[in-house]
Amino acid sequence: MNTKNLGEKNAMRVDRMLTLILCMVMLTNNASQASEPIPAPKQKHPIALIGATVHTVSGAVIQNGTILFDKGKIVAVGTAVTIPQNTERIDTRGKHIYPGLIDASSSLGLTEIGSVRGTLDLSETGRINPNVRAEVAIHPESELIPVARSGGITVAAVSPAGGLISGTAAAIMMDGWTYEEMTLKAPLALVVNWPSMVYSPGRFMRMSREDWQKQRDEQLKQLRDAFAESRAYLKAKDAEKEKGIHYHDLDMRWEAMRPVFSKKIPVVVNANEISQIQAAVAWGEEEQIRIIIGGGRDAWRVADLLKAKDIPVIVNPIHTAPMRRWEGFDEAYTTPAKLKEAGVRFCISGDYSASNSRNTPHHAATAAAYGLAHDEALKAITLYPAQILGLEAMLGSIEVGKDATLMITDGDPLELSTTVEQIFIQGKKIDMQDKHKQLYEKYKQLEDR
Amino acid sequence: MIRTVVATLLMIGAIVGPLHAQTAPVVGLRENTPAVHAFVNARIVVAPGKTIAKGTLVVRSGVIEAVGENVVPPADARVWNMEGLTLYPGFIELSSDLGMPKPQQVAQGGASGATMAQQRQQEAPKGAAHWNSRVQPNVDASLEFKADSRAAEKLRSQGFALALATPQLGIFRGSSALVSLGDGSGSELVVKRHATQTIALEQMQGFGGGYPSSLMGVIALVRQTWYDADWYRKAHESYARKPQGQKRPETNAALEALQPAIQQKQPVVIEVGDDLTFLRAAKIGREFSLNAWIRGSGQEYRRLDAVKAAKLPVIVPVNFPEPPAVDVPEEALNATLEELRHWDTAPENASRLARAGVAIALTTAELRDPATFLASVRKAVERGLSSDAALAALTTNPAHWLGVESRFGTLEKGKVANIMVADGNAFDEKTNIREVWIDGRQYEVKIPPSVDARGTWNVQIRARWSAEKPVSSEEGELIVRGEMEKPSGTLKLKGKDLRLAAVTYANQKLAFMVAGDSINVKGNLRLSATVGKNELTGVGELPDGRSVSWTGARKEPARVEPDTSKPREIKMASFGDLFPAGEFGRAKPPQQPEIMLVKNAAVWTQGPQGKIENADLLVTKGKITAVGKNLTPPKGATVIDATGKHVTPGLIDCHSHTATASVNEGGQTISAETRIEDVLDSDDIWIYRQLAGGTTAANVLHGSANPIGGQNAVVKWRWGALPDEMLIAGAPPGIKFALGENVKQSNFSPGGQQSTRYPQTRMGVEQIIRDRFQAALDYERAWKEWEKDKTLIPPPRDLELDAVLEAVKGKRLVHAHSYRQDEILMLLRVAEEFGFRIATLQHVLEGYKVAEAIKKHGAGASSFSDWWAYKIEAWDAIPGSGSLMHAQGVNVSYNSDNSQLATRMNWEASKALKFGVPEQEALNFVTLNSAIQLGVQDRIGSLEVGKDADFVIWSGDPLSVYSVCEQTWVDGRKYFDLQEDRKMREQIQNERSTLIQKIIASKQTEGAAPGAGPRMMMRRPNEEQLQSCMEGVDHEY
Repeated sequence: MNTKNLGEKNAMRVDRMLTLILCMVMLTNNASQASEPIPAPKQKHPIALIGATVHTVSGAVIQNGTILFDKGKIVAVGTAVTIPQNTERIDTRGKHIYPGLIDASSSLGLTEIGSVRGTLDLSETGRINPNVRAEVAIHPESELIPVARSGGITVAAVSPAGGLISGTAAAIMMDGWTYEEMTLKAPLALVVNWPSMVYSPGRFMRMSREDWQKQRDEQLKQLRDAFAESRAYLKAKDAEKEKGIHYHDLDMRWEAMRPVFSKKIPVVVNANEISQIQAAVAWGEEEQIRIIIGGGRDAWRVADLLKAKDIPVIVNPIHTAPMRRWEGFDEAYTTPAKLKEAGVRFCISGDYSASNSRNTPHHAATAAAYGLAHDEALKAITLYPAQILGLEAMLGSIEVGKDATLMITDGDPLELSTTVEQIFIQGKKIDMQDKHKQLYEKYKQLEDR
Repeated sequence: MIRTVVATLLMIGAIVGPLHAQTAPVVGLRENTPAVHAFVNARIVVAPGKTIAKGTLVVRSGVIEAVGENVVPPADARVWNMEGLTLYPGFIELSSDLGMPKPQQVAQGGASGATMAQQRQQEAPKGAAHWNSRVQPNVDASLEFKADSRAAEKLRSQGFALALATPQLGIFRGSSALVSLGDGSGSELVVKRHATQTIALEQMQGFGGGYPSSLMGVIALVRQTWYDADWYRKAHESYARKPQGQKRPETNAALEALQPAIQQKQPVVIEVGDDLTFLRAAKIGREFSLNAWIRGSGQEYRRLDAVKAAKLPVIVPVNFPEPPAVDVPEEALNATLEELRHWDTAPENASRLARAGVAIALTTAELRDPATFLASVRKAVERGLSSDAALAALTTNPAHWLGVESRFGTLEKGKVANIMVADGNAFDEKTNIREVWIDGRQYEVKIPPSVDARGTWNVQIRARWSAEKPVSSEEGELIVRGEMEKPSGTLKLKGKDLRLAAVTYANQKLAFMVAGDSINVKGNLRLSATVGKNELTGVGELPDGRSVSWTGARKEPARVEPDTSKPREIKMASFGDLFPAGEFGRAKPPQQPEIMLVKNAAVWTQGPQGKIENADLLVTKGKITAVGKNLTPPKGATVIDATGKHVTPGLIDCHSHTATASVNEGGQTISAETRIEDVLDSDDIWIYRQLAGGTTAANVLHGSANPIGGQNAVVKWRWGALPDEMLIAGAPPGIKFALGENVKQSNFSPGGQQSTRYPQTRMGVEQIIRDRFQAALDYERAWKEWEKDKTLIPPPRDLELDAVLEAVKGKRLVHAHSYRQDEILMLLRVAEEFGFRIATLQHVLEGYKVAEAIKKHGAGASSFSDWWAYKIEAWDAIPGSGSLMHAQGVNVSYNSDNSQLATRMNWEASKALKFGVPEQEALNFVTLNSAIQLGVQDRIGSLEVGKDADFVIWSGDPLSVYSVCEQTWVDGRKYFDLQEDRKMREQIQNERSTLIQKIIASKQTEGAAPGAGPRMMMRRPNEEQLQSCMEGVDHEY
């Protein structure tokens, strides 16, 4: 019995336990498609989603609304949308439509199985790797990507890890035949990991304070040197045009820094502890670059500084331990609410792990349970990451002119009981099948054996 | 007359002349300086609480011959005028590494943990030794002892005359020797051999290395060794009676060496690193009826009542911690209240113990520098330890415990002449120890100069003051003041006051220089002189090299300058005790209302009553007495209005490693002998945090490094209670099993020393489990055989097989870490073959593939809600697994395996809703089903009459992400309350800032603290471990 038949058989059965799968299958292009999900073709004709509660996020919630999109872009949103002739009409009455979710700090596509080294492309050797590019190592076949999609993730800011300068992140759409098709924007940001600024000896850190300080200072110098040297390199390269200045051999590392210095891309500085954040902000000023704080567990302690400098924070993860024994159990849960109150721009992401990317809304929901307004929590995984990562022209809200990157759900996407029934990425109707659903369907057969 | 004295002394057996005291031949000339000394005019502290204000003490041949107010010095005595000085009994140190082979230091830190790795002696043991090289009770300090005059001198400088030299390596370390701190050969110095046996309960580090690699492994090995020692005697007795036909029992020097201790003929000192390990050690002492003493940690005050209840002598270190770094605000954020409080309270540890009636001795152990000992003891005295108690802790107590009180510990007639001489009260900050006499021989500590240079001197300085002029004499005045050995002063010359610089005074030589500019001498004039009582003579040099001669005559003697410094304000600990002693601790357990009614909530009973809207819950003395609508509150009932709220049973986490001092014993393939209950850490802050998320009970499991792992503990999170008080009474015992990648070590680096341990395949896993099951049955058979003729050698009691046998007999629940369907089936089938049931399959990620078999077998399935892809065996994990198994009728629970995740188990349960599990059944995944899996469903898991009042009040539907836990009740006691939590945070803030200010103030007034102790009060490996494992591949154990 092949899996295709299994799928067909499934689609025929009416079963309490399978209701949600059926919903999904009915909404899918090819109802019998229970095998490997196939990347969707480009949007060929206009599509109208009719009758849903439309959560535009940027504006009001529209009851019984219609969204019309064509060639991947949203053409109209409202209750009185004129639908052109050749439009595919999809009945979404009783459903909710939201902008597609964005995972603002992810390893999706760069990793498959945590313990298998061969599947890990996260972290290049050495400390200074500004030139490595996340997008070129995205594995389109990753089984983790469809699972993330099923959680509503449409675009992920896939970031390299490790060292001091990890490389450049890319905005990756969760569908496509090749990494090129999947790449929405690259480079998206340079990723820097701020060295630890607090001496905390313990089980895994046995260095003396002096040795630790020496190591930290060495790392800080390495980071500063990288920036100084790349400036010197770029100056020299730019001077080549001038008469009498001769050619300088290419340096891949420093060449990659151009968009940072021209402020075309920001630098995400991963920094959790207050001294790290303070140092990163001062460094960003000194280097005259745009920075975003990643992690940002102590960001609220320096909210005035961040607000004054308009430095946004990607808060992640929410589900994590307080850093200090004396802090409240909900310390990490309440960071977004504190930043909101202080007027610091922020967004929320999950724990960077690819397999758990689908739990990104759970992180936002926990922030909502502990003080962040519900609509803010929703923005924190849609509009705010789009704004912070420079993708707001395309993503983050349901507005005319933006990409038709959306999701249809049976309820509040922050609730864990809610199912994401269908997503569209740039108007493409995405196959919602994934490894988990396949295995679920397959082993469901055993019940009746 | 003399003859009578000698005869008397001989009668009390206290005198042996020096010539008769040794067998070694005399080399060179005999030395016969009479060893008769009379200390006159001394203040004599004969014993704690017994002082002679002014008296005489006579020493003859190393023994106190007489002591008293009216004792007349014998005619043959050398008389020492001790005017102004006090004689004390020499101190006795009970925990010293003096002259012992020391572990090599690898990493700094000072804490015992740092020195462990290198203690694993890799070579095969020599001789008839114990199989484990860290079990060396046969080591004999009296043979290992190497006289170390520098270390002895350091101890003498703190007043000690005797020290218990204690072996330093391993777990069972060997027997100690009481040694004298004088000079001499080993045979002269060793006073008593085999004084105590020594055990160190050390927290071992990580995977790999030898067995044991964890604290629970250490405890298991210690227990097993005592059982072995007991067996050893019985076996040899049996063999001696009847050698024919019996297999000769092994000869084992280690087990032989333990015989005196196990028969209470030798005390056993157990060294511990923290207050909870103190209680662990006391438990071992009780189990084997040992004459146990505890070498404590300095943290005993944190659990004073329990320490007192142990009724054991305690050797107490005075390792007061350095204050946490608080000068920089950002850095101060990282100082925990626990650390700050410990800094504030540690100096009161000894005093609190003594006041509680605990017998204590004080030790230099755990100090970075023993030379700071007395300063710390004085601090302890300042903070409430009475001088008598301090003295007893250093003299009579140790002497009594060691059974040498007839010879040592006081300055009574007939005792060994171990005398400490001080220029004041020994526990007074300003007092100097002058000398220590050991066996009647003087050892100087710090003798002040015989001539005091201080005072005013008329001086005459002869020099050629300039090239042009001849030699001429200048008159001047020299004023020397300040400390006797660190003087300062001025030289008045040519009408100018010149300040003395670079002043030194030693061996009656005073030297200094003065700047000559104001007297027209360009540069520095250097002068030195030999100082007599009333005159001084010396030489000097002018800046240009011309020499100077000078003399002086005393004009005024040294004036004793009155001490104008204000007595330092003594600051006692600022805050009362909390349990645990830090953030979110409680002064006492939450009270249990006699009767209480929770009114008008949506009550999820998780029992036959289902979910009842607008219902009430009645609780009497911690038990549920009614659930239903419109219950009338009995008179005097505490009523909680829960209108609009939801009430559920307390959540139960069926797979936890929270609150453990160690998780894995990876040193052996099978670690069934280890017990989590031995290493429960009731101070783990995660207990409180989990209460804050509604989790009230947990199955605390051993890690997954072993096919058959350690024994688990089923606990309630009674925050503030002692480890044993957290155990759920009557919960069936259990044991951890593990299959797959972890036990075959597939994620260890290839080629490493770990890649050869059996098993390395799932095939081997099956075989070793089967073999151990059979071994347990064979063990049982051996016992039955022996029952028939008990004169034969009994089988050795085996803690590992005891536990495995219980599992095979169905008396111990097996909780088996498992992933793939093949290994799940394998274990079920092997268990079925042996005729017992696996209680739970833990993780059971592919359980959905063999749900039917699990159901038929009757195992519970305890799973993650949705973790996957972190390793190959987690590749087919799906979030619908729980619902598929549930649909097949398997009892399913969701667990955390992670301290943070365990703070939000209700949300884990709600993930099942997505797969069609109805809401109450979903909540069962973290309540009733977990209770059933752990065999405690008669007590917890649902809100039914007769069950424990463990419940949670939620702000709304517990399965909604927007609902938060508002109150958590355990045994009808409110352990968490959101409002109270806010208040506690304010209190924490207040305490932290108060203590931070106190540290800053103390640095300003006291300068650098003696800073004897470690920077970190304790290690919390588990907190770190669990945090780090959340991020890594190996996130689960």
